[in-house]
Amino acid sequence: MTQQTLQKAPLVEMKNIRVAFGGVHAVDDVSVDLYPGEVVALVGGNGAGKTTLIKTLSGAHRADSGEIWIDGERATIENPRDAKALGIETIYQTLALAENIDSPGNMFLGRELRTRWGTLDDSAMESATREVMARLNPQFKNLKVPVSSLSGGQRQSVAIAKSVYYNARIIIMDEPTAALGPAETTQVGELIKQLKAEGIGIFLISHDIHDVFDLADRISVVLQGKLVGTVNKTDVTMDEVLGMIIIGKLPSDVTQTELDDLHG
Amino acid sequence: MGAVLSCLTWPLQPINVRLALTDVPDTDREESPVDRGSDADATEPVSIATGRSRPLGSIIRSAEIDTRLLGMIGALIVLWIGFNIMSGGTFLTARNLWNLTVQTSVVAVMATGMVLIIVTRNIDLSVGSMLAAVGMAMALLQTEILPDIFGIGHPAIWILSLAAGIALGAAIGGLQGAVVAYVGVPSFIVTLGGLLVWRGLAWWMASGRTIAPMDKTFQILGGGARGTIGGTWTWIVGIAACVGIVALLAVRRRQRIKFGFEPRPMWAEIGIGAVACAVVLGATTVINSYPMPERLAMRYAEENGIAWPPGGLSIPLGLATPVLVAIVAALVMQFVATRTRYGRYVYAIGGNPEAAELAGVKTRWTIVKTFMLMGILVAVAASIQIARLNAATSGMGQLAELYVIAAAVIGGTSLSGGVGTIPGAILGALVMQSLVSGMVLMGVDAPLQDIVVGVVLVAAVALDSFYRRKVT
Amino acid sequence: MKRSIKLLVLLAVFAMIVAACSSDSDDTTTTAAAGGDETTTTAATADELIVGVSWNNYNEERWAKWDEPDIKAALAEAGASYISSDAGSSVDQQIADVENLIAQGADALIILAQDGTAIKPAVQSAIDQGIPVIAYDRLIEDPGAFYITFDNVEVGRMQARAILEAVPVGNYVMIKGNAADANADFLRGGQQEVLQAAIDAGDVVIVGESYTDNWAPEVAQTNMEQFLTELNNDVQAVVASNDGTAGGVVAALAAQGLDGVVPVSGQDGDGAALNRVALGTQTVSVWKDARLLGRVAGEVAALLAAGTSMEDVPQMVKFTTPEGNEMFSILLSPQPISADNLDLVVTAGWITLDDLCKDVEAGSVAVCP
Repeated sequence: MTQQTLQKAPLVEMKNIRVAFGGVHAVDDVSVDLYPGEVVALVGGNGAGKTTLIKTLSGAHRADSGEIWIDGERATIENPRDAKALGIETIYQTLALAENIDSPGNMFLGRELRTRWGTLDDSAMESATREVMARLNPQFKNLKVPVSSLSGGQRQSVAIAKSVYYNARIIIMDEPTAALGPAETTQVGELIKQLKAEGIGIFLISHDIHDVFDLADRISVVLQGKLVGTVNKTDVTMDEVLGMIIIGKLPSDVTQTELDDLHG
Repeated sequence: MGAVLSCLTWPLQPINVRLALTDVPDTDREESPVDRGSDADATEPVSIATGRSRPLGSIIRSAEIDTRLLGMIGALIVLWIGFNIMSGGTFLTARNLWNLTVQTSVVAVMATGMVLIIVTRNIDLSVGSMLAAVGMAMALLQTEILPDIFGIGHPAIWILSLAAGIALGAAIGGLQGAVVAYVGVPSFIVTLGGLLVWRGLAWWMASGRTIAPMDKTFQILGGGARGTIGGTWTWIVGIAACVGIVALLAVRRRQRIKFGFEPRPMWAEIGIGAVACAVVLGATTVINSYPMPERLAMRYAEENGIAWPPGGLSIPLGLATPVLVAIVAALVMQFVATRTRYGRYVYAIGGNPEAAELAGVKTRWTIVKTFMLMGILVAVAASIQIARLNAATSGMGQLAELYVIAAAVIGGTSLSGGVGTIPGAILGALVMQSLVSGMVLMGVDAPLQDIVVGVVLVAAVALDSFYRRKVT
Repeated sequence: MKRSIKLLVLLAVFAMIVAACSSDSDDTTTTAAAGGDETTTTAATADELIVGVSWNNYNEERWAKWDEPDIKAALAEAGASYISSDAGSSVDQQIADVENLIAQGADALIILAQDGTAIKPAVQSAIDQGIPVIAYDRLIEDPGAFYITFDNVEVGRMQARAILEAVPVGNYVMIKGNAADANADFLRGGQQEVLQAAIDAGDVVIVGESYTDNWAPEVAQTNMEQFLTELNNDVQAVVASNDGTAGGVVAALAAQGLDGVVPVSGQDGDGAALNRVALGTQTVSVWKDARLLGRVAGEVAALLAAGTSMEDVPQMVKFTTPEGNEMFSILLSPQPISADNLDLVVTAGWITLDDLCKDVEAGSVAVCP
């Protein structure tokens, strides 16, 4: 992994991002980066600032200062549309699906395919959905039922398929496994592997340390708006990451006593 | 390790559950229509392969027929047969069924629009008052304003009054929609205000007078003595509908094959086509077996120089114009709801407004358009109403909002939004009107009628939600 | 761009319609006090008798156009002066209005009640101060007030009488008013009184009877269609309780070619109904001349203001209210209008000849040229 990251140019570089609400620094001088085919997990307790940080990338928030570079070029992201134009797609915790509409309808929501008569081309949309789904989740075939009757894993597939179909290169996943059962969580893992294989970079926001270790390549830890540090998953243990999250110290700085206290 | 995790303060996945269940098989159950909440209960071993192999069920499933709609049609048939027995065979006569179609048309036209309003999680309480205001405007135009310009009976009169009525309906609807969507006042309040305002406007336009009679050509819209299309044209419409159904099925099938989907089994295609055609042609036969009333036939014979035979003349009246208008409105609305981007957005907003917004749907403008559409349909209904009554009063359409909402809801539209169909609303309107007409036939007086209609409304919705919980 | 043009066109049409409609109702509001609580005083000198009128809603066309001029004329003839107030459909405002009128020195009050129950305390206080109160057109359930109205039972009798005259033998359908409106039953009672003998003799059979929700014409139309279907058009006469429901009935009959064949009654003297009488599709419309009501009220008010006791008012009868109170009252007799006496409504200025004779073939009725 380390070698890989050295060879390729970073897909995303967020440099010295600051966001303040009133007098409070929600994000204070944070820098993170993401390489193609890599999963970077953003972890931290509630209110640590990880969501605010990532919203500056998805266009939902504007940074007060700092720079975002995409593919080595300076980018200006002022709204979700800018982000989409740069190939950044966000998959929300709530998945943002219209429950009463089927999978193709959701996948193409707002960008429907139409026939030459201007009517909805449901067959074309279903066909395209089938194609994408064959890559992501081949077992998922009942596309024509409303999303409300799908399993959590299938819904996640729909949300991810939507990003993939629009050639997303950077996907932001906010708690992708939060509402899922174990089998479905495994499935999401498969989906993420599939995306990585296609060279897509993923920012993963998660509370679940197991998910993070299962899915991420690198882990960036934020605490009280500041970056504690970014580590390679292979270089650390879960305890060390928990130490970063709670104590706010890098594994190299933390003392054995402090680690022992964690087990208290 | 476990101790570390358990002392963490932020919420975690229940790890022990996951470990215990790692042997659960893949849960993508493509055949199973069983509902699964977002908390995906993968633990529940659902019988997939064995479930529901009853022959009727499988036929319906592989033919991809809407079972809900089928149930409603069944309920309607039961209702009709019941009324027929209790009215001593009057209910299922061609004449009464013909009446029923005409009487339903006003509410049916508006119900198709109300479905979309309710699907977007809104409501329109003003349709009855709007009907009075728009109807009054159209009546005044054609009786007191336009004849002074063009002279009585000029064709521009009915065209201009109809156009102005539709424009006024769209303007009123658009205004209410804009206040709902852009100002953010709940539609219940906006249209509750509208209920008062438009009724007042209707009164004020003519100081409460009854405006009559309507323009002679305009009266055709009402389905009275001259408002039918005749037997031949009714057959033409019936056969055209049949051809249309077959063509639609063929196009769908070709489309599915083109994209490599498994088409419906051929027997299902032919069966559906045959049943639909049989229903259409059967209805055409019933309509055409209601002959022109004797006095009208005499007048007709006189006008056309036909000698009056001793047994009388049996000339079919044919489809009434308001029914034709309602059918066209329903087809257009069905097309709009299911085949256009706008229709898709309406349902998306109802399903999840945030998702629609995030997907780039202009949700506010879509809601304005929906209210405008409602206004246009109210204008169409108003034109039928004043033509049929051959008069306009400021009290027209009182309580119509409740009948229209009830028709939509009985037809399966969910007041929490996102769910509802046009055919369902039409059936709902038919159920409501069948109840009222049937009870009048049986000599049930107004207060008891209201009680029955009220009870049926609640029972229908209760039954529907029970069905949804069980089957979806 | 395209969208905004569309919107402009819509607005223009809307404005056109509003403008067109407002032009013919301008005259209705010119004399009305806009503010609601303003009271207008017309030359009240100190020793003259003053009669105060409390309108519930002066914006309704009828009061200014028909009732008020005759009240004023009657008062002027009696040498009393006229003051008035408009409650703008507000119950609270009307209570305040009554107090104001008393404060302005009214010696008698004519009250057109917005709400016959809510106004009772104000009426009671006026009576306690020795000021006689006339309940005008609408009942105020207070035995101390004087009630002047048209006799609704008599309206029903007149409707049935006209229809019975046209069809002495046959099947009758009774289209009643709103079930929640006491007047609907007063009317039906009067109709029954007249028809009873013919029913007992077996000449008249009531084959269908229905209330009409909200007096709605479209409901009456549907009900009539169903009666015709049920009876296979074997209906010889329809007693409809007002002109609106009569309109619905005539539309239902017309769809069967029976308009002008089956007699239909009505009431109110609606323009559209009088036109139907001229066309021959409606037999009778019982007309309650509001000017007569105004004149009588003015005369009685002047008498009461001058100190005449209620018992001594000419034409006074005792009226028993639905709550069982005995009230001094005058029940005016309405006027049935049929094809023979249509000239009455024209000479009275109630309707123009143009409106009355719209679409009427020349010479088919005497009044239409």
